[in-house]
Amino acid sequence: MTPGVIAEFDDPEALVAALRAAKDHGWRRMDAYAPYPVPEAAKLLGATGARVAWIAIGAGLFGAALAYATQWWLSVHVYPLNVGGRPLHALPPFLPATTIVGILWAAAGALIGMLALNRLPRLSHPVFAAQNFGRASEDRFFLCLFEGDPGLTLREAEYLLRRQKPLRLSVLAT
Amino acid sequence: MSGAEFTTRPVSDPPLREDFGWRFAGAVAGAGLLTLLLAYAVVALLIEGTALWGTNIPFVWGFDLINYVWWIGIANAASLFAVVLVLRRHGLRTAVNRFAEAAALAAVAAAAIYPILHLGRPWLFYWTFPYPATYQVWPNFRSTLVWDFWGIMSHVVVTGLFWYTGLIPDLATMRDRAVARSRMVQARIYGVAALGWRGSVRHWARHQAAYRLVAAMVLPMLVSAQTIVALEFATTLVPEWHQARLPLHVVATGIPSGLGVVLALAALLRGGLGLTRYIDDDDMRLLAKLTAAAALACGYLYAEALLVAVLEDATTRQAIAARAFGAYAGLYWGGALLVVVVPQLLWLKRAQIQARWAVPIGIGAAAGVWLDRFSLVAGGLLRDHLPNPAPLYVPTVPEWTLLAGTIGLFALLMLGFARFVPVVSMYETRHEESEADVP
Repeated sequence: MTPGVIAEFDDPEALVAALRAAKDHGWRRMDAYAPYPVPEAAKLLGATGARVAWIAIGAGLFGAALAYATQWWLSVHVYPLNVGGRPLHALPPFLPATTIVGILWAAAGALIGMLALNRLPRLSHPVFAAQNFGRASEDRFFLCLFEGDPGLTLREAEYLLRRQKPLRLSVLAT
Repeated sequence: MSGAEFTTRPVSDPPLREDFGWRFAGAVAGAGLLTLLLAYAVVALLIEGTALWGTNIPFVWGFDLINYVWWIGIANAASLFAVVLVLRRHGLRTAVNRFAEAAALAAVAAAAIYPILHLGRPWLFYWTFPYPATYQVWPNFRSTLVWDFWGIMSHVVVTGLFWYTGLIPDLATMRDRAVARSRMVQARIYGVAALGWRGSVRHWARHQAAYRLVAAMVLPMLVSAQTIVALEFATTLVPEWHQARLPLHVVATGIPSGLGVVLALAALLRGGLGLTRYIDDDDMRLLAKLTAAAALACGYLYAEALLVAVLEDATTRQAIAARAFGAYAGLYWGGALLVVVVPQLLWLKRAQIQARWAVPIGIGAAAGVWLDRFSLVAGGLLRDHLPNPAPLYVPTVPEWTLLAGTIGLFALLMLGFARFVPVVSMYETRHEESEADVP
């Protein structure tokens, strides 16, 4: 696994400041961890939820089309039932299942799309080995710079992060 | 910064507690007993069939539909409430969202049992699903029964997704707290359920988008699911049911029942788990006022039903009059009293905050809507197309057992939820507190 340097902060402003400094210095392979959404940090890392929305919309439209097509194909072509001469292809009775199945697909698409974009589930990750990382889900903020950006070394990462006055600094081993 | 003095540990600690005390054990035993009764009632129904029930022509639907519509109404209102709070980023969401979602999920689970059981041959319920059967018989998609299948299935799945999506980051907190207390078995279980959530801000951005999207999806789903139920009544030719106002009535009267249940749960949880700081007095006041306002809207609907009856044709007018003043008049007016009038007490400051007021009023609103559903399903059929009067519908012991059983199931699910999952959304609370700290 890629080694890295991880710094711990106790408030989101410090995290955002450190993130900005690292970005200005040219770091790209980095990630920040917080106990609640920090939109400013997400913006610095260039992450948005837009793709989740597109996945959900696509899944919803596909689900609705699938539901309508299934009803139409089965009712008109495969198994036509004559109920008092009513039309075989009828929009009003096909509509309830179409909308609700579309909604089902959109909601499932949102969750599954989010997990896929986040590369989750992934139960094991090197940052979990960082000291005190359990607090990342409670009240601490972490910034991790991973090795691998051209021309930048872990020594520089350590220097850069130490200047941000973190509560703690640790090196993630391989 | 808030980190020093503000902590969500009072929320994350209860699920990790070794012992919940004898009261909790007693409640679980009671709810478990009722759930066993449910199993007994279901097995008896599978063996004997629907002859066990008091339903007969013209009262073809009894407790099965009454309870189904009632539970769906509770689920809908609880979800609707949670969704509106999430989408509007309202401060109250931190306090009540999680268990409003859980109550919705438990209510949907209780509701979903009935339409399957009332099929007559419940073990063949999958016939409503379009699958390639041996005889190549396909469902009739123009039938309301098939709408129901999709409506209920989507309702269960989407409500579950909404609850779980919001829960993922808090499950990660539970995992880390369990590790900190060296409770490795719990840590593993929470860890797997949290899917390895590590709080990356990139993940948060997508998670928030997904959560709000699922919430936005729940909104039309609620309206359409409950409308589908009401349309099943409205598409029949029974005069009292065959009205365009029925979907609105069913959707709108469902709201005080669900809000009442959420209010009662909020009062019980904050007292029982000592969470007065997380579900504070302002939260309770707002919730109580919402319930009272929803009840007032129902008052308008009741008045409208009776006023419009005057303008209707003679058959419909007679049917509405039979429902409001006939054999089931007590249910109709009892429902109106509990849904519309009693919740007005919630405008009083004392009733808003004290559990001994809020809990009975909230449960009472739910019970009132149950009476309303009874009056709709049974009383609506007092004037059908048959000339000779039939014996009235009276629920039998197996039907009461089934109702008691689903209430037990709901209670058991809610107790399990309070036992194993943080009842307040911790990350939303932290977020809210951190913003409140900024001058």
